[in-house]
Order: sequence, then C-alpha cells, then structure tokens
Amino acid sequence: MPGTNDIRRRIEAVWRIEAPRLIGSLARSLRDFGLAEEVAQDALVAALETWPLKGVPERPGAWLLTTARRRAIDILRHATLTTRKHELLEHVMSDALQAGGDPTHADDEFGDDLLRLIFIACHPVLSTDARVALTLRVLGGLTTPEIARAFLVPEATIAQRIVRAKKTLADKQVPFELPPTAELGPRLASALEVVYLIFNEGYAATSGEDWMRPLLCAQALRLGRTIMSLAAAEPEVHGLIALMELQASRFAARVDGTGRPILLAVQDRSRWDAGCIRRGLAALARAEELGGADGPYVLQAALAACHARAEQYEATDWARIVALYTRLASVAPSPVVELNRAVAVAMRDGPQAGLDALATLADEPKMVGYHLLPGVRGDLLERLGRLDEARAEFEQAAALAGNAREREFLLERAAGLRRGD
Amino acid sequence: MAYLLTVLEPRGQRSERTPEQGREAYQRMLDFGAGLHKRGLLVASEALRSESEGFRLSMRDGERRVVDGPFTEAREMIGGFFLIDVGSREEALAIAAECPAAQWATIEVRETGTCYE
Repeated sequence: MPGTNDIRRRIEAVWRIEAPRLIGSLARSLRDFGLAEEVAQDALVAALETWPLKGVPERPGAWLLTTARRRAIDILRHATLTTRKHELLEHVMSDALQAGGDPTHADDEFGDDLLRLIFIACHPVLSTDARVALTLRVLGGLTTPEIARAFLVPEATIAQRIVRAKKTLADKQVPFELPPTAELGPRLASALEVVYLIFNEGYAATSGEDWMRPLLCAQALRLGRTIMSLAAAEPEVHGLIALMELQASRFAARVDGTGRPILLAVQDRSRWDAGCIRRGLAALARAEELGGADGPYVLQAALAACHARAEQYEATDWARIVALYTRLASVAPSPVVELNRAVAVAMRDGPQAGLDALATLADEPKMVGYHLLPGVRGDLLERLGRLDEARAEFEQAAALAGNAREREFLLERAAGLRRGD
Repeated sequence: MAYLLTVLEPRGQRSERTPEQGREAYQRMLDFGAGLHKRGLLVASEALRSESEGFRLSMRDGERRVVDGPFTEAREMIGGFFLIDVGSREEALAIAAECPAAQWATIEVRETGTCYE
C-alpha cells in the first residue's frame, strides 16, 4: 500500500493540474466565482479525506467536478430559494447532466474559462497582494498554507486576503467574463504585472522556502503562456515570456550547492539552460517583429538577452546594455532602473563613472532602505581601492537585506575587506 | 521543469485500426495537445509517421551505417511526443495519466536535463 505522503503528494499534484479547469468550469455554470472557488475547495477537502482510503480515482478531474457540483447543489438548495438561486440551480444541474461529469467535454470553453479566471483574479479592483494570492490559489492550485510559506506570512493573513478579495469581487459585482475590448489593455497589464510578481517572488526569493521557488517560476510561465493564447498579437506578452525564460535559464547557475548567490560575472555559463534561452530569444524576436521593441517587458527581455548571448562575462555588450537602460528609463522611469543603468555605465566606462551616475540616486526617497544601492556603491568603491568606505557600504547593505543568504553574502564581502583580501 | 512524454505504441497496432478508428485516435490526441496548450503547459508536440518509413544511422570510425525500418527486434515504437513544462514529477505523472494514448499505449515520462549529471 502506498504511503500516506505519496497519496498526499499525488493529490496535491492533481489539484495543481485540475484546479483552474475545475474552478473555471464551475464559475461559468454557477455564474458565481466566489461560490465556485468555495465548492472547489470543498471537493479538495473531500479528496483528501477519501482518496487515501479508497485510492485515487481513474479520472480524478471528473471526480472533483462531480463532487463540487453536488456540493453547489446542496448549498443552493439550502439557501433561500430566490428566483435567481433557482435559475442557478437548474443551470448547474442541466450542466451536470450534459457533461456527464467529464470536464474534458467542455474543452472548447475551457481555454476561455482559464482566461476569465486570470482576468477576475487579477482584477484591478483588488490590491496587488490580493491579486497575487488569489491567482496562485485559483490558477496555480496552491493551498493557503503553501502561499503563506512562499511569502513568509501567517496563513491567517493569506486566508483573510482571499476572503476579502472574493468579497470585493462580489460587492462590486465583477462578472466572470473576458474584458470588453476597450478595457483589454489595462486589464492585460494588470494580469502581466501579477504574473511577473509571482515569477520574481520565485526567482529573487526575498523570503520563503527554497523548494517553493521553482514552483512559483513555473506557475508564472504557465500563466504567461495561457495569456499569450488570448493576446498573441500583444508584444508585451511575448516580452514578459522572453524575460521570464531568459532569467529562468540561469536558475541552476545562480546559487552554489549551499544555496548562496553566485554573481552573474562568475556564473558557470555552461550551466545556463539552453532550452530556456532558445525559447526566450524566440519570444523576444516575436515581440520585436510585432513592433514592441520599446515596451518595458520587451526592453527588460532585451537586456537579459545581452547576457544570454555573451559566451563569457567579458564578452558582454555593455554599450548596448547602457543604451537599453536609457530607453527603459524613459518609458518606465524608476530608481531601480537608474541603479542598473549606473552599474552598466561602470562596466562600460569604469567604476568612477558608475559612482557619478549613482550620485543623484542617494536622495531618491524610493531608494531609502533599498539594500542594492549601498551594495552597488560598495562594489564600485572596492574596485577603486577605497576599501574602508566599501566595507561601510556592504555593512549597511547587509543591514537592509531581507533575505538571509543575501545578508550573509554581503557580510562576507565586508569581512573580506577587513582581512585585506 | 520540462518533461518529455513519449508515446510507446505496440508495433502493428496502427494497422489493426480502421481508417475511422485511426482518425478518431489521432483527433483525441490533437484535442489533448490543444488542451495542454491552452493551459500553458505545452512546449512542443508532434505525432510521428510509422517507423517502417524511418531509419537509424550510426557513425563508427568514419563509417556511416544506415538501417531502414521497421525495427523488428523491438516490440514497441515511438508514436509521438509531448514536451510539457510542469512544476514537479507528480504533475508530469498527472498529465501523462490524462493522455488518451495511455489507454492503448505506454507513456514514458522523462525530465529534460544534461546527460552528464
């Protein structure tokens, strides 16, 4: 008999694969996103109780859908039978009869269901935090404890966020539908932002456990590809996919065996994932063909491509990188972009030029408390031989860093200067 | 993480089907692939023509050796493949279980990676 943990892992995997299809299909027939999400969760709970005893059913997706529909019918029956509830009940029952409990029968609608789910979970009426949590839950099939572990916040916080988000969507009567053409641009931007936040949480890992990181990145890529199926003519979608693929290509090379970060300059480039790079460069070329060369995601992807194309660090085209950051700073101005531009200037023209480019940033309110500014300053000062000043900058950067491994790395750099090596 | 799902069909199975049955099996596989695409899981997929039209090549000491199919020593042939991107081995397993060909063939699941570690 398989161990309980094996079954649990299988259920979790089935859930990650099935949750979006299940919730999408339920939300369409119930015309109520909140209720769909609730009964889908009930079906998961039922699976966790039943499957370890009776085994995983042959068609787990169909089992979950039937269980969730039954639950919905129960809830609707027990609720006051207003006319609307009555209509819903008839609708869900006729759906259940037609589909015969097999979600794959509705595959034509299914692609649209997924997109409707993405657009409702990423709706601009919700806070960014709520959008991320809801997207991971309904599209990624992550449980509340998993989301809480990924973001290093208490489970209750995530649970609250999801409850409030569902309430907001219900209060504002946000329909479960694709955005009208006039709203598509901003709605798409909101969805892409959520996707990139999820990817970054996995990639940069400002907090959270290591095993969650590739999972979040994979989720983000999956969502990006689904959005692409709706908006294949939108260059920024391809730009975001290119950016994520190119960054993901460095996954294996960017930390050592103990999980400590390895700087880009000294990464073993033979460990970069050639498949990711190929897909990333193809997506970038597609974005540029579509006339999107100046979009913020496309520009960031073009920057990542400069590194991907350089066989050694020394071969990096810093002049092109400076030019791309200058473009990026004009279409999406931000102090972080300026900081990166200064790093590129230092690579092209030397550390003093980089320090000069950083000088204007010190007073920028958004940079206060941002550990990378003193980190970069420390690096440039070290290269100029101003070691005491460099050490002070690294120590300040360590005090500001949110990630334990990054903090440790910065303290080591400071300590290295003290020893005089 | 990318996984390759290879469909290993019993040799001769295709010729046992009527043209209608063959088309139906093919259509089910196309629908399966289209569903994976919509879910953002599919990197690439193809069906393969019969191995009797294929050949195998090896180079030894500069000598080229070509063997034409069918490769009768094997009981199975590769019928097609899906390259998918999922978060874990268990998810790859769940997708393989959904594959219609799992009903009439065997699905071999392999993670992509370098061949030296």
